[in-house]
Order: sequence, then C-alpha cells, then structure tokens
Amino acid sequence: MTEMTIEKREFSLESEYTFNRSGPVRWILSHSLRYPIFPLGMILAAIGNNMAYSNIQLFIGRAFDVITSTGFQPEDLIAIALIVMVAAMSQGLTGLMRNYSAEFLAQRVERDARHELYVSLLGKSQTFHGRQRIGDIMARATNDVRTLNLMFSPGVMLITDSVMNTIVPMVMIAVIRTELLLVPSIFLLLLILSLLDYNRRLNPVSTAMRDQFGTMNAGLAEAIAGIEVVKSTVQERFEWDKFTHDARRYRDLFVQQGEIQARYWPMLIFSLSWAFGLFHALFVWQAGRISLGEAISFVGLMGALRFPTFISLFSFNLVQLGIASAERILMLINTETELDENVGGITTPMCGEVVFENVSFSYDDQVVLRDIDFKAEAGKTIAIVGETGSGKTTLTRLINRIYDVDEGCVKIDGIDVRDWSMESLRSQISTIEQEIFLFSNTIAENIAFGCDSPSRESIEKAAREAQAADFIQSFHDGYETETGERGVMLSGGQRQRIAIARAFLTDPRILILDDSTSAIDSATEDQIQRAMRQISRERTTFLITHRLSQIRWADRILVLRRGRLVDQGTHEELMDRSADYRRIFSRVESGNGGEKPSAIPMHDGDD
Amino acid sequence: MGFILDGLDTETYDREYGDRELLARILSYFRPFGKQVLFVAVALTINSIAGSGAPIAIARAIDVVGKNPSLTSIALSCSLVLLMGGLAWVSNFVRQWLSARVIGDVVLKLREDVFDATVRHDMSFYDEHPSGKIVSRVTSDTQDFSEVVSLVVNLLSQFVQIGILTIWLMSINSGLSLILYAMAPLAVVIALSFRRVARRVTQNARRVTAKINAQIQESISGIFVAKSFRKERAIYDTFERNNRQGYQVGIRRGLTLNSIFPVMGLSSGLGVALLVYSGGIQVEAGNLSPGDWYLFMQAVGFFWFPMMSIASFWSQFQDGLSAAERVFALIDAEPMVVQEAHENVERMQGRIEFKNVCFRYTEKEIVLPEFSLTVKPGETLALVGHTGAGKSSIANLIARFYEFQEGELLVDGRDVRRLDLDDYRRHIGLVPQDPFLFSTSVGDNIRYARPGASNDEVLQAAMHISAGAWLEDLPKGLETYVGERGANLSMGQRQLVALARVLLKDPAILILDEATASVDPFTETQIQEGLQSVMRDRTSVIIAHRLWTVQNADRIIVMDHGRILSQGTHASLMAQGGHYADLYNTYFRHQSLEYIESMAR
Repeated sequence: MTEMTIEKREFSLESEYTFNRSGPVRWILSHSLRYPIFPLGMILAAIGNNMAYSNIQLFIGRAFDVITSTGFQPEDLIAIALIVMVAAMSQGLTGLMRNYSAEFLAQRVERDARHELYVSLLGKSQTFHGRQRIGDIMARATNDVRTLNLMFSPGVMLITDSVMNTIVPMVMIAVIRTELLLVPSIFLLLLILSLLDYNRRLNPVSTAMRDQFGTMNAGLAEAIAGIEVVKSTVQERFEWDKFTHDARRYRDLFVQQGEIQARYWPMLIFSLSWAFGLFHALFVWQAGRISLGEAISFVGLMGALRFPTFISLFSFNLVQLGIASAERILMLINTETELDENVGGITTPMCGEVVFENVSFSYDDQVVLRDIDFKAEAGKTIAIVGETGSGKTTLTRLINRIYDVDEGCVKIDGIDVRDWSMESLRSQISTIEQEIFLFSNTIAENIAFGCDSPSRESIEKAAREAQAADFIQSFHDGYETETGERGVMLSGGQRQRIAIARAFLTDPRILILDDSTSAIDSATEDQIQRAMRQISRERTTFLITHRLSQIRWADRILVLRRGRLVDQGTHEELMDRSADYRRIFSRVESGNGGEKPSAIPMHDGDD
Repeated sequence: MGFILDGLDTETYDREYGDRELLARILSYFRPFGKQVLFVAVALTINSIAGSGAPIAIARAIDVVGKNPSLTSIALSCSLVLLMGGLAWVSNFVRQWLSARVIGDVVLKLREDVFDATVRHDMSFYDEHPSGKIVSRVTSDTQDFSEVVSLVVNLLSQFVQIGILTIWLMSINSGLSLILYAMAPLAVVIALSFRRVARRVTQNARRVTAKINAQIQESISGIFVAKSFRKERAIYDTFERNNRQGYQVGIRRGLTLNSIFPVMGLSSGLGVALLVYSGGIQVEAGNLSPGDWYLFMQAVGFFWFPMMSIASFWSQFQDGLSAAERVFALIDAEPMVVQEAHENVERMQGRIEFKNVCFRYTEKEIVLPEFSLTVKPGETLALVGHTGAGKSSIANLIARFYEFQEGELLVDGRDVRRLDLDDYRRHIGLVPQDPFLFSTSVGDNIRYARPGASNDEVLQAAMHISAGAWLEDLPKGLETYVGERGANLSMGQRQLVALARVLLKDPAILILDEATASVDPFTETQIQEGLQSVMRDRTSVIIAHRLWTVQNADRIIVMDHGRILSQGTHASLMAQGGHYADLYNTYFRHQSLEYIESMAR
C-alpha cells in the first residue's frame, strides 16, 4: 500500500527516515523496527532470563533429591550450588540485557517520535497553526511522546517478560512430565478470564474517578480564583456545599475502587492453583512417576506464574495508553495543509488595492462573516471597528489567505488572492498581531528577524521610525538586551513598537495591524500613534482598533457587527448616518459636562 | 507497587511542625474510625500470618509426605496450603476494602476542613499564597497523603510478615537464619545507593525535559513569526540539539533505573546458591529437615523484595508527613480580619467615614498613614492617582478584605469591626478590574449575587444596562455560556455582567475598580450607560481610569502615597492645575475629544 504522497509541506530535511503512518500500531511497529537489534535483543534476553530462573528451580529440586538420597556426597551438592550460582548470574545479566534493550528502544522511539512530530509541525501551514491550540500541540509533544516511551519501557518489556515467564516454565514443566501441565493450564485459562472481568469492572470506576478528581479540582480552582466575588457576595457557604459535594462523590468512587481492587480474583486463583498444583505433583510422585525433588521443582516453576498474575494488567494498560498517544500524535502529523501554495501563481509587485466582493466565511460550522463588500484603495488606511467576536480579525486573515473565503472573493490589485503565489502574497503583506510574539533573543535580533542579516544602521533606523529607539537605548545593554523569559519584560506598547520596527525593515505593501491592546498612558499613546501613522503612510493599512483617535484619522471606517458590515464610510459620513456611531462620540463630548476643558497644558511625551 | 523508585521526583519542603505533633494531629483524624482501624489491624495480622504460613505449610507438607506418603496425608497437607492461600486472600480483601473506606472518609473530612478554612481566610492570605498552590494543597496534597497512608499499611503488612517468618526460621535453625539475615542489610544498602544515583539522574532528566518542552512551546507559539520570515531551519537546529541531549540524559536515567531489579535478582540468586549448599550440609548433619531446607530457599525471596520497599519507606513516609503538614498549615493560618461583634445590619444609607486610619499590607510599608475621608450617602467618588497611591487599599478596607491597624472606619456611623461580616457584605457591591465570571451562563453569573432571584429579576437587572442592547450581541442572550473564567466573553462584556450582578444585589455601596484594558467603543458606551444606572442612588467609590468617569464624578479625590492631595470636581481641579493636571496629562488626555479630533488629518 502506498502512503499519501501528496503531502504539502513548508519545511523538510534532506535525509528523512520515513515511517509508516497509516495507523498507530503500524507506526509504532515501524518506529521500533528502525532499530531491529533492540526488540530482538529484548526477546532473546527475556527467554534467557526465564530459562536461567527456571533452571534455578529445576536444580533446587535436584538438590533436594540429592540431599534426601542416602549417603550423598557433598561434592554433588557443590556442583549443583555452582550451577545455581551460574544460573543466578546469567539471570542477572540477561535481565540487564533485556531491560537495557527495552530502554534503548524506548528512548529512541521517544526521540524519533518527537523529532518526527516537530519537523512535521514546522512544515505545516499557518492555517494549521492558526487553528491548533498551543496547549493541544504541547500535550502531544510532551505527554504523548513520553507515554510512547513508557509503553516500551516498562510496558512492552513487561509483556515480553510475562509471556516468556509463562511459556518457559510451562515448557520446563512439560519436560519434567507432561501431565503436570494440567493445573497450570487451567490456571492460565482462569487467569485470563478473571483479568478480563477485573479490567471490565475497574475501568469505568477509574475513569469516573479521574474525571471526578478533575471536576473537583476545576471547581475548587474556580472558587479560589473568584474568591473576591465569593466573599463580596457572601457565597462562602454555597461554595463549600459545592466543593464537599464533589469531594464526597470522589470519596464514594475511591471506596468503590478500593473494593474492586481488594477483590482481585486472579490472586486467589493463583493461590488455589498453587495448592492444587502441589497436590497434583505429590499425587504423581506418590504414583511413582516423578521424584519428590521434581515435584518441588514443579512447585517452584509454578511460582513463576505469580509475576504475570499481578503485572499483566499494568503492562497492558501502558501499551493501550501508548497506542492512544500514538494515535493522537499521528492525527497531528497526518493533518493535511488545506491551502494550496500555488507555486505557479502571480508574483508581481503589488500596488495594494484590496477589494472584498460578497465575501462569506464560516468556521467550524458557524458563520463568521456574511456578505462583506468593500474596496480599499492602495495606500489608504482602513479602520475596522466592532465588538469582540464581530469578525474583525477573521476579515483581515482572508487577505493573506490564513483562511480562504467560502463565497465571494478577495482581490488584490484586481486579482483573486487565490491566483497569487502564496510566497509572493505573504511576503508583501505584514501582520502585527494583538499579542506580539518575541523570541528569547536580543532586541536587535528580534527586529532583524525578517531580513537576512540587515546592517546595524538599518535596524536602528527602523527602531527610530517605530518610536522604539528611546526605550531601547534606555536599557543597559541597548539593542543587545535579551527579551523573553531570561531577559527584560517588555510592556505591550514596547512590544508593539518592536513589531512595527520589524515591519519597517520588511517594507510590505499591505499592513494588517491589530491594535486592541490597552490604552496605557497619554505619552505612550502619542508614541504609538506616531509610529503607526508613520508605518501606514504609503501602504494599504487595515487597522483593527478600539481607539477613537485612530478611527478618527482613518480614511475609511468599516463597522462590523456579528459578522456583517453594518456600515462603512468616512467619519463624517458615519456621524451623519449611524446612530450607534454618533452615540460613541457624543458620550466623549458629554463627558466634558458641557464645559470646554480650557488651558490644558499639552506637552508631548514626558517619559 | 511500593517500589524503591517511588517518590524520586518529590522535592523537599521545610517542615515547621514536629513529627510527634504532626502524627498526633493525623491520628486525631483516624480516631472516629477506631473500630474500623482495629478491624484493619486484625485483618492485617491474619494476612501476614497466612502469607508467611503458605511457604511454611509447603515445607511441612514435604516433610510429612516424605515420611508418610499416603494420599490422606498428601490431601491434608495440601488442604493446609489451600487454607492459607484462601485465608490470605480473604484477610487481604477485608484489609484493603476497609482501609479504602477509612482513608476515603479521612481524606474527605480533611478536604472539608481545609476548604472551610480556606474560604474563611481574608484577602491578605490570598496575596501570600498563589491560588495554584492553594488548590494543590486542598486536592493534591490530601491525595498524596492518602496514598502514603495506603502505602504505610501495605509496608506494615510486609513488616509483620517478615517478623513472623524470622521468628519461625530462628526457631528452626539459627545458623542458617544468620546467613539469611546477613543478606538483608546488603539489600537495603544496594537499594539505598541506587536511590541516590537514581535521584540525581532523574533530576537531570527532568531539567533537560523542561528545557526541550520550553523550546517547543516557544517556537510553536512564535511559528507565525518564524514562518513569515522563513526561519524554520534555525529553530529546527536548536530543537535537534536539545532533543539529542534529552536522549542522552534519558538513556542515562533509564539504564540506571533499569539496573536495580536485575542486580537485586542476581544477588538473591547468589544467596539461594549459598543456601543450597550450606543448607544441604545441615540436612546431612541431621540439623535440618529437607522441608525446612526448602523453606529457607523460599525465604530468600520473601526477605529480599520487602527489604527493597523498606529502603524507600522513610522518604515516602516523610513525603506523607510533609503533605499533611502543608494541609494543616493552610487550616491553621491565622485570619487577619477579626470581627469584634456580630451586630445585625438592616438597611444602610451608605455613609462611609475613615478616621485617622493607618494601614499597611506588610510590616515594612505603610500604605495609608493617618487617612481621613468622609463619603456622603449617594455620593459618587472617583479616586485618582499613580500606581501605589493607595486607591485600591481604600476599596479593600471598605469591603473589609483587609484589616487596618489604627484609627476607625465607620459605616453609617457604626464601627465596621462590630458588624456581622456576612450581613455587612450583603450591602456592598463590588466590580473588580478584571471581573471574574464562573463557568456557567450569563444569567447564572448575574444571579450569583442572589441565588434566590427569579429569572425575571435577573432579566430586569440585565435590561437596566443600556436598555439590554448588550444582550443582543451575546449568541444566546442570558443563556450564553461564558466559558472558563468568562473566556468566551470580551473584557467589556464581562464588565457588563458584573454591573448587572451588582444591580441585582442592589447594595447601598458600590466599589468599582475601573478596567485599564481597552474595550471596543460600542461596548465602552454600553458600560458607561450601565454605570450610570448602577451609580444612581447609591454611594459609589470608583478607582477611575476613564476620563468619562472622572468627569461625571461628584467629587474627585487626588491621591499620592496614601494622602489626599486635593479634591473637587473635574473642572475645579483642572482650573487649579498642579497634581491633577499632571495626572490628566498622563492618563486621561488621550481620551479627550480634543486629542481625538487633533488626530484627524
């Protein structure tokens, strides 16, 4: 079977090992078969390990026959003791080999899976990343990858060992005398049945318990986070009732689980089988078909079955969890990039005229934008206003094809955006998001991020134009100041200006600016305004904003409400036409209480 | 599996309570379940006897049938083994089942107590303890505690079992027993030294894993930037380096942890070999029966593995005590806000008087020195000033979230310390800067202030705010689910909900900490309209960040370092110039119509 070869990626490595991605189990297998030596070593070592253990039991029996025989020689016993010693040593060595093989396999699978996932993430389009929550990706890159590791070591290792721990002693028992297999065989059958039954009863309770713990925890976290509200509304008692209800329900499940675990039938079946096995062996001995020493060996060999009795469920669960994790990781890896890169598309330089024609767009079956129609002339500034959730951000994302329209079309310079080459389209459009992302790097490197080694002068020039030079120079290390976790914490306004500086360097034709951050103080406001006016000059700029001052200087204002363009025009036109719009400005006016604030000392930027 | 590798990840905490004190306190939680605990102890003893009885029974069986190989004696001996097995299982069932009940109940009681104590604490407690830590103390620490108790019960049963077997073996043959016991310290030493190495490699592995995860998180969060500038390769190289390093430390940790069982198995196997020989010699000398020789061989396994668990016992036990201590510390924290009496509060006018109030959050820094202020009933008061001027402290003291140190705070002329706190708070409406919503519907969030309120009352409260226009922008009106902490709503919408909540509560005093975050102009207008309805007819104390608010206040209090610099209306203060004019230029100027209009090209 041929795997999907029509993979669209934005990043790839020269020599990549290809894994079978057609299903979680196949994927895991193809990962472990990349290093065949380890699974092979693990299985062989497990066989050797159990042979050594079984031999110890066998020779204990033989020693018994020796010491109970009349007039035995101590030399015979020494020989047996030496054999037991050698067996013990090979048991230890094969045990190490088995565990190490499993560990190497587990660690390599973890490393490779993480690598594979990461490379695939780098290759995914922004559409994909825009839709994926960081938390989900992180859960897969951390927990799920880790679970894969645990699935091999100890999961698969224990299963291999359990299987050999059953087969090898059974073979040995058969070698002593075939009829002795009677009790162990019945035991195995009952063990499997009782384990299945136990699992069936325990699983729903364990799941319910985990969920209930989550519920209790979440409820508590909420009450603590909202403690101010709880206190000011005098609802302590109500919250206490809610919490204790959750805690009581958890307690009930805990007791229920305790009861199921206490009633672990497999252990009883083992104890009873052991006694019956002893009886059977002694019976066969009494009939003279085996020696007493062989009966003792048999009891010792049966004792080996204790291990799979209590370990198998644990190890099977680990494997189940591993497969579920593999499925989640694969789902992410196999997600197709939906947008076509359109490599052969148009690549000419843009002028920057943007037209929306009857655009509608839905996301997850919800209509986000409906019948949007407008024209933005090249070089103009378009303010987009509306409530949160009215579709402002989505509208701008249709321009650089983070999303594609469902109906209608978006045109740049008269050409449908889908006819542009993706590379050319995106390189001529810059976006400054509301949450500005900076890497843990120096400020200079963050500004220079978009260019291939720009000169220091151009970085500083960009910073100056973005009104960022002053605060950057106020830091001790200036442009070499580290940002992010290890470095200085920058305020929202400062990050914004670094992003603007970045945009100055890349010099796009169309700029999308999401400026819904908080209004800090008047001085910062002045600087941001200046930077924004500067950058929007001579580019088509889409400005998502809450600021009346920005709305005021925009060439055109789009008013969105619940996905519809309810009005558009210049400030004057909207003041004439829209009651809602007028209300906003009249409030600002009425705030003055009729008095004109006179003689306000207006000095700029006191920082 | 109470194995020696448990608890390697735990960190050490400072302990303040003595072991004895702590144990006594823990035991007091078990006291109500005395009878069940007794049953558990009995079942545990029976379990241990039966557990060590099984190999003894087999040994006896070998000797008995060796001398008298009749079918009846075989059947009788095997019945004894069967009985021991059955008894062990039944007693184990009783023990596990009963202890699950007791532990479940004890943990429940502990959780009730700790939650009760937590919600009673005043806000200074919440400043000291991050909410995540509190949550983990209430749920996870109690959980850890219960696990350790289960573990201790398990280990106890193994102890008793070893004890019984020891006595039995000593009585049979003291020489061989000594060989056996000589192995025990060896097992403990091996286990302990493994733990030391394992702890180190585990911590290393954890550190590197955290580094890898942080790098993935950062690069995926910033993938937008990386992509638009084609920097994937550089990011990939960093990842690849980290991933390799992760593999290195992971392997080191894995190999260490995986060595313990084979090494232990090897040592116990060598012990068996030694006993095969030395025991055989004893049998030959007639000091030991063949059955008992066999019993010694079995005993190696019985001794060896419990010894390994015992090696980890102490640190686990300490973990359990620390978990309990963290829980008790939460219960025992002293409240700062103390009411001297519980006088009823019927109706309130809303007069507030600060008389020479002195207040500090911590010993070092005085926030309000000698602060005096009177707020008239129905007055709208705006507090302005830089961060740290003491605005929020005034609001916090009125809400009685914190205790002041000197002076008097009177409400309607009565000492606030003598009022019934619950009664008093029913007359206070609070709108925090970032209003907190519970993850239910908008309607239920409004109702939270008065759980008995009817749907009609809730709707009315909502309609009082900008004539209910804001409800139209919610997908399902009052039924809209707000998401975790209100995440489905915008900041502005959350404030509208909080305002409606206050309207439903209809308090005499409103305390509002205005949001600094920006809100879209449409919602902002609705908030202002809502605020107008809320402020009407009640005393309002507002920490103001909006120009509109200061312009509409009856009185503005200009604060700096806990002192009142000046007061008056916006117009009169502007005319004075000075500190208020400075504040205006710093925080409010860009909100003015002049500024907005000056931006028009």
